[in-house]
Amino acid sequence: MVMEEIEKVKEVEKAEKVKESEKEEALEEGVRAKCPECGSTQLVHDYERAELVCNECGLVVEEDFMDMGPEWRAFDHDQRMKRSRVGAPMTYTIHDKGLSTMIDWRNRDSYGKSISSGSRAQLYRLRKWQRRIRVSNATERNLAFALSELDRMASALGLPRNVREAAAVVYRKAVEKNLIRGRSIEGVAAAALYAACRQCSVPRTLDEIAEVSRVSRKEIGRTYRFVSRELELKLVPTSPIDYVPRFTSGLNLKGDVQSKAVEILRQAAEKELTSGRGPTGVAAAAIYIASILCGERRTQREVADIAGVTEVTIRNRYKELAEELDIEIIL
Amino acid sequence: MLSLVHAKKSIRIENVVASTAIGQEIDLKSIARRLKDAEYEPKRFPGLVYRTKNPKTAALIFRSGKVVCTGAKSVEDVAGGLEKVFKKMGEIGIDVKESPITIQNIVASADIGGELNLNAIAIGLGLENIEYEPEQFPGLVYRLSEPRAVVLLFGSGKLVITGGKSIEDVEAAVEKITRDLEGLDIL
Repeated sequence: MVMEEIEKVKEVEKAEKVKESEKEEALEEGVRAKCPECGSTQLVHDYERAELVCNECGLVVEEDFMDMGPEWRAFDHDQRMKRSRVGAPMTYTIHDKGLSTMIDWRNRDSYGKSISSGSRAQLYRLRKWQRRIRVSNATERNLAFALSELDRMASALGLPRNVREAAAVVYRKAVEKNLIRGRSIEGVAAAALYAACRQCSVPRTLDEIAEVSRVSRKEIGRTYRFVSRELELKLVPTSPIDYVPRFTSGLNLKGDVQSKAVEILRQAAEKELTSGRGPTGVAAAAIYIASILCGERRTQREVADIAGVTEVTIRNRYKELAEELDIEIIL
Repeated sequence: MLSLVHAKKSIRIENVVASTAIGQEIDLKSIARRLKDAEYEPKRFPGLVYRTKNPKTAALIFRSGKVVCTGAKSVEDVAGGLEKVFKKMGEIGIDVKESPITIQNIVASADIGGELNLNAIAIGLGLENIEYEPEQFPGLVYRLSEPRAVVLLFGSGKLVITGGKSIEDVEAAVEKITRDLEGLDIL
């Protein structure tokens, strides 16, 4: 009897999972809507006219669409808090997607009256068990730990919300595909964060990730390669250009140096000078050249420290770039 | 077409790894004592290493009687090297029951002749088959399913083919790679 029931529960769970994945697919399709006239994917919602308009050819794809926004208006935070009837948005960075119930810490009932001292103790116990029950089994406990680890690393690196969200999604996918087996949670979390940074085209180097994680650079790289192959993340190789803004601001260089460095890198990519070279090294050399050309010279040592490469690497890349792009440098 | 001929001509076998067995468990310690030029350090490696000069190979002999031969530059060298090892073992009174030699891995190098733009190849060949992480390794890793081999492509146009089990595998891999690159208009 008991076995049968368990199986039933399992079946229901499976059906729910299938439904969920179907929903996600439907959502993705909605995002990739195309203009029937010119095939452009740049469709703009005009909320004032309630029209879906193609940004390329101007075709009105849909008229009188429903406004899904709230029916109330709020002019400051207090009003918003009062009128909103919903909680925080769903997030992948919390193990239950932020959908669990919380018992408020204030000892007040829904009318705002304070709760009698007799039932206070009971409420205290309820709260305690509510907290404990939130994490129901070992899988969930591991997920909660991994996500808090992800958040810790992201905070240490100062990464924005969208990257954290992407990292959590990558990690969850890895769990679903059973890729964690035989690997450390910390390692996979660090690899997921590295992948997420690249997905959002704000790449961090493996060294930077390794510094804030508890695993070695080598382990992270290995895990990343494994995860990206298994999940088919299809990440294009990082471009040195993506590193330029971060390195230049780290060196206190002005905007014109940054744009000069980007220009050098564009030319270098055209002449295929970056093939098989580490992107950070190439970026560092371009910044070094740009800083000299703009009269704001930084030493190779300074650039090397910020970029996390050696001076020798900068010298070699710098020679290649200067020779092939005919840049004359007078020191 | 020219580059294909060129690439095929440039194939050079760098290493052949093969395994066989002598059909009995053996006491490595006593062999190490009797064979002067054998290396046996159980703390560092559980097998006994016996190197032959001509052809230059190294045979790893294990307690279970299994033998691995590495370092040979050709398939013939494997047989030659093992023959010498077995003869030597016969001399010290171990009767060797030879079993068939199976080649486990062949490592070869080749040259496409001309620089490669790995970025373009990475995108052109489809990101699911290849692995290109310049931050971690300068080469592009291309895993072939038919023949089952792994090819490393470098920016200089040189190739390393590994994981093949026969010379034909290596040649087929080089042929496939050059055709793929020609299809992408990279060569």
